[in-house]
Amino acid sequence: MIFFEPFQFPFMARALIELVILGVLAGTVGVLVLLRRLAFVSDTLTHTVFPGVVIGHLMGGDGGIFWGALAAGVATAALLTLLTHRRRVSEDAALAMLLTTLFAVGVVLVSRQTGFTSDLTAFLFGRVLTVTEAQLAQTAVVTVLVVALLAALRRPLLLRAFDPEGARAAGVPVGLLDLVLNVAVALVVVAAVKAVGTVLVIALLIVPAAAARTLSDRLVVIVPLACLVGAAAGWLGLVVSYQASVEYGVRLASGATVVLALVVMYGLAHAAGFARRRLGLSRARRTAMEVAA
Amino acid sequence: MSWLDSTVHRAVVEAVLVGALGGVVGVFVIARRLPFFTMALTHATFPGIVVAAMLGVNLYLGGGLFGLLVVAAVLAFGRARGQDFTTATGIALSGGFALGVVLVSSQDGFTKDLAAYTVGDVLAVGTGDLVATGVVVVAVSLLLALLGKELLLTAFDPVGAAALGLPTLLLDFALLAAVEVTVVATVPALGTILAVALIVGPAATARLITDRLAPLFPIAAAIGVACALAGVWVSTLWNVATGASIALFVGLVFGVVFLGTAVRGRVRRATAANPA
Amino acid sequence: MIERAPTLVLDRASVAYGDVPVLEELNGVVHEGEAVALIGPNGAGKSTFIKALLGLVPVVRGRIEVLGRSPAQARRDVAYVPQADTLDPDFPVSVEQVAMMGRYRRIGWLRRPSAADRAEVAEALERVGLAHRARDRFGTLSGGQRQRVLLARAIAAKPRMLLLDEPFNGVDAVSQHALLEAIASMKEQGASVVVSTHDLAIAHLACDEVCLLNRHQFGFGPTEDVLTPERLRATYGGHALELRGDRVIVTQT
Repeated sequence: MIFFEPFQFPFMARALIELVILGVLAGTVGVLVLLRRLAFVSDTLTHTVFPGVVIGHLMGGDGGIFWGALAAGVATAALLTLLTHRRRVSEDAALAMLLTTLFAVGVVLVSRQTGFTSDLTAFLFGRVLTVTEAQLAQTAVVTVLVVALLAALRRPLLLRAFDPEGARAAGVPVGLLDLVLNVAVALVVVAAVKAVGTVLVIALLIVPAAAARTLSDRLVVIVPLACLVGAAAGWLGLVVSYQASVEYGVRLASGATVVLALVVMYGLAHAAGFARRRLGLSRARRTAMEVAA
Repeated sequence: MSWLDSTVHRAVVEAVLVGALGGVVGVFVIARRLPFFTMALTHATFPGIVVAAMLGVNLYLGGGLFGLLVVAAVLAFGRARGQDFTTATGIALSGGFALGVVLVSSQDGFTKDLAAYTVGDVLAVGTGDLVATGVVVVAVSLLLALLGKELLLTAFDPVGAAALGLPTLLLDFALLAAVEVTVVATVPALGTILAVALIVGPAATARLITDRLAPLFPIAAAIGVACALAGVWVSTLWNVATGASIALFVGLVFGVVFLGTAVRGRVRRATAANPA
Repeated sequence: MIERAPTLVLDRASVAYGDVPVLEELNGVVHEGEAVALIGPNGAGKSTFIKALLGLVPVVRGRIEVLGRSPAQARRDVAYVPQADTLDPDFPVSVEQVAMMGRYRRIGWLRRPSAADRAEVAEALERVGLAHRARDRFGTLSGGQRQRVLLARAIAAKPRMLLLDEPFNGVDAVSQHALLEAIASMKEQGASVVVSTHDLAIAHLACDEVCLLNRHQFGFGPTEDVLTPERLRATYGGHALELRGDRVIVTQT
């Protein structure tokens, strides 16, 4: 079976486990990102973590990356929450400025080093095939923490997403909730960036939730579906990139292949959702005609 | 020997051109709230450029054509139920970039090409690039000068524009196409991610300085040119990445002006509260 | 009484988005210098009605004639006033520039506004009482003032028909008065006015005729004849009314 054979290798199995865990984490957080329309905020966080990665690496080698990313992630999550609450500049312009400036800090620091280009590419789409067991443990811990936090706060978070004024009137601390969600997104980025890179993180956060949303209107269905789509795309992407290199001698970056698998699944979900609505519509019309007759 | 034979001279000319171009187009990008869309365009033109390089056709043409496809995809997906423009943009962004990465990874010299594309290299621009950027500057300026008021109305009040009988779809497309060619012209110098800085930053800064439309264009262009020149200068001085230096200057100027206007606003409010 | 020319003719007209019909069986005539109020609950199709008069929503059956032409062909002489809060308050345009947009149609492509255009804009802003705010940014004005600027934009276009979509929603008393004055002076100059509103008092105050809408037409004619409790109850679905003497209060819109 070509679908399971690649995972006999320990490095492939580790990559798969990492992607499945990340699929669950990003799927859960991603649904909130979708409901709050925070795609750009998430994209900003993926890039602002970069200077933290570079500084962490400069100060503490490979082990420093996680802590540098964590510090930068939490700091920018707080900064973003503040910035989006003071409406002096239009929000998206502020995000773009924060994103490019902090990313530029990282690039300037990296460009002083030797091995510049290889460090940069590693950051952009990670090295999922070299994930270690320690990294897996880190990712798992972050996932448990974040999912538990969001599950505990799900009611106020949903109320805030649906009706911010009503939430404020009901005495819900909206600013604090926004900080929680931004930190959750930052933690996804931190947990994932070393293994899968920024581009894959943003795709994992946005695409599975969007795909699940086209298939269902109910939140209890959307969240597990998003997790499933994320994990399935991870598995499919790994299989495709493995088969391409082993059978056909074509090297495909595995992280990016996973993203393409995600986009394909989104396209399919989109088509399925469209067909379902068409069917539902014609059924409704038929019923209406029967009633009229 | 011409003056343009020097790498640094070419870089200076390119910096001035993209600085002015980014500033002017940025005014519309800010007004229409398109920074994230611009971000998606810079990422999604990537596969177009890779394919063009593989096939040996013009890079600008490849990137530009693919970017137009992305514009269409975002518009189509953005209309789906339960989705919004931001989500569609995010999907186009990550999908487009991943496609480019997959294509590049099947080639040799993988990491070096990717890094050059991501962070750009203004010191590597040739005379051909300069001509291309120059053409884009002239075309975009002409478009904005001739159709400025129609673009303005469509951006501000689309239904009102349609009620006047303006072809809003065409005008929208013209504006997005202008952003797209600006992106394609800016990316070789700054790279995908930092090109956004030069398009969004100067206009956002100008927007903090003035509320009026007409002065926005010259102020944004001046900030863009100044930051681009300062970035080139610093990067040759200390041997750091040029695109990132330019983006840092843009961020710095924005930050200073932001704080300056915030302080000024607070002082004004304080004097208004205590007129004595 | 002088016979006035008809400016709007509805003849068994139905309008639809795609295959979904929104309004069906519209009938009625509006003349020069007359104002008609569109009244109905939210989602009744009032905005769609206005867009159909602009030729932005297709007529699938019957006929709508604006100024003796098809709606799309009549746009040159029709001015549209959107709801102010649908527009981005951060947009960097001045009050004067917004009002100038009403002149774009006359200025034409590729040309710049002339001194005559500027004079028209200044006069239009004067008529809504906002000439002193001409150089301020649009977004710095209050909601009611923004609505007046949008009306000034329409006045500057010198239309023969004026279409207003819920202009009185969330508008302060001063602005409401200014809007009503400006609408009355447009009528005196012979323009027809179509205005959608929730406010029955305004329909009595400013309009000669009323069109009751809720997917279908529940009445079209002189205000006194059409604004009856029975017809309103039919339009709003019966239970949503409280009647006190001759006053009609719609409790649920």
